[in-house]
Amino acid sequence: MGTNGAAGLLLTFARRGEDATIRQAVSRLRSEGAASVIGVGTPVSAPALSGIGLGELILYGEGRSASAVVHEMRRRRPAMAAIVYSGAGYAGHLKLEALALLSGARRVQRIAPAGSSAIGRASLAAIVLAKGLCACGCAAVGAAICTVAFVCLTLRQITAGGSRASRP
Amino acid sequence: MKATIIIINHNGCDLLARSIPAAVQASDKAGGYPVVVADDGSTDDSIAFLCRTFPEVRVLALPRRGFGETCNAGVAVVETEVAVLLNNDVVVTPEFLEPLLADLAQPDVFAVGCKFLNPDGSLTDTLGNRTSGTWRGPFLSIHHETRAERLEGTCPQLYANGGAMAFCRDKWQALGGFDPLYHPFYWEDVDLGYRAWGRGWRVLYEPASVVYHDQGSTMKRVHRAAHIELMSAKNAVLFTWKNLLDGRLLRRALAAQARWAADDVLIGGLPHRTRALRRALRQLSQACRARAKEQRERIRSDGEILMLSSRDA
Repeated sequence: MGTNGAAGLLLTFARRGEDATIRQAVSRLRSEGAASVIGVGTPVSAPALSGIGLGELILYGEGRSASAVVHEMRRRRPAMAAIVYSGAGYAGHLKLEALALLSGARRVQRIAPAGSSAIGRASLAAIVLAKGLCACGCAAVGAAICTVAFVCLTLRQITAGGSRASRP
Repeated sequence: MKATIIIINHNGCDLLARSIPAAVQASDKAGGYPVVVADDGSTDDSIAFLCRTFPEVRVLALPRRGFGETCNAGVAVVETEVAVLLNNDVVVTPEFLEPLLADLAQPDVFAVGCKFLNPDGSLTDTLGNRTSGTWRGPFLSIHHETRAERLEGTCPQLYANGGAMAFCRDKWQALGGFDPLYHPFYWEDVDLGYRAWGRGWRVLYEPASVVYHDQGSTMKRVHRAAHIELMSAKNAVLFTWKNLLDGRLLRRALAAQARWAADDVLIGGLPHRTRALRRALRQLSQACRARAKEQRERIRSDGEILMLSSRDA
């Protein structure tokens, strides 16, 4: 069912070699009835998004707060969103999934090079929560390992004695 | 100065068919230096092929032990002042040896790296040309020069790519060769160059010594891409832990490493980071010992190493 005048969001990190998937996402949004497609990405992804003819972009990163980006997306009242994944599956891309969820879009498509599927808001929220917890876990493991490493390396350096090379 | 050419091989029989004749030709042209193949436990026809086709080449048939340790074993049999390490996927040009030997005649030069070209002669995405580094984010960020106009003269570089490098055997022995900390592969050549600069020596880039490198052709056929990424990440972590002696930079790098691990989930596509940190943790005591040794023997700071190695000639 078409949605006259509805906006569609295309969220991507636009890494190297994703042009085909991004074009597929644009086609999907248009076939779903999006009258306009707004690209959401970083300043790094802007050239790739402009390159496929998206005139309207919402860029995050480089000091722009997440809340400002979410506010700008919601202001467009998007009816749908498409998340472009880099890998074969739907791993990673937590930031894009969270933005899609917070954008207020009622329908979300996940587009990966190997295939695509629609996902409900509740399922997306559950995925964002699970991946968020997983990210916190990874950060905690990383912080614990790096703390242990820092203590051991520093102690070893102190016991080994000072050297000219230790200064900046 | 006399040199020995050492070619490192693992299951690269077809690659040797191209690389050995070029190495033998270059050796003959320079005066007939020995050519040695250090074989890292090949299970293909490499050894038989070498004995059958190139009887003048000395073959060291070693058990499987990884790139760095195979190189160390190969250099251990060298009796000349200079050793030249070549990957089995590197095809040298006939005149590649003389410029390297001329550079190594300078007393403070430890190693010299060749000019790497793709098999088609292009520079696109080549690795190992005029390397430099900066401590940015979780690791040492390494830059490989690919602009032709920046690759015209002999100049300092951070490290000589282990795929094609010449070095003074005595300095290699003083440095202890490639550190087994980086088993099975990657970052051992960066570590060696960094330590050489730290001791007060220099590493040079020599564009007059041209080699053709089919990058990663051996690695990709032997290891899965995910394993290569995991080992590269693990060794990047260990390199930082071992070599970054500047306390302020170390704190920043370690904080960035924790964030880097979390990014696995945030951005996706690289699900090996936390695993790499865990793997590195298993070698922490080994890294601590190596770091203490490094601290005793280094005379240049991290900043000086990077500044001196990135200067124009």
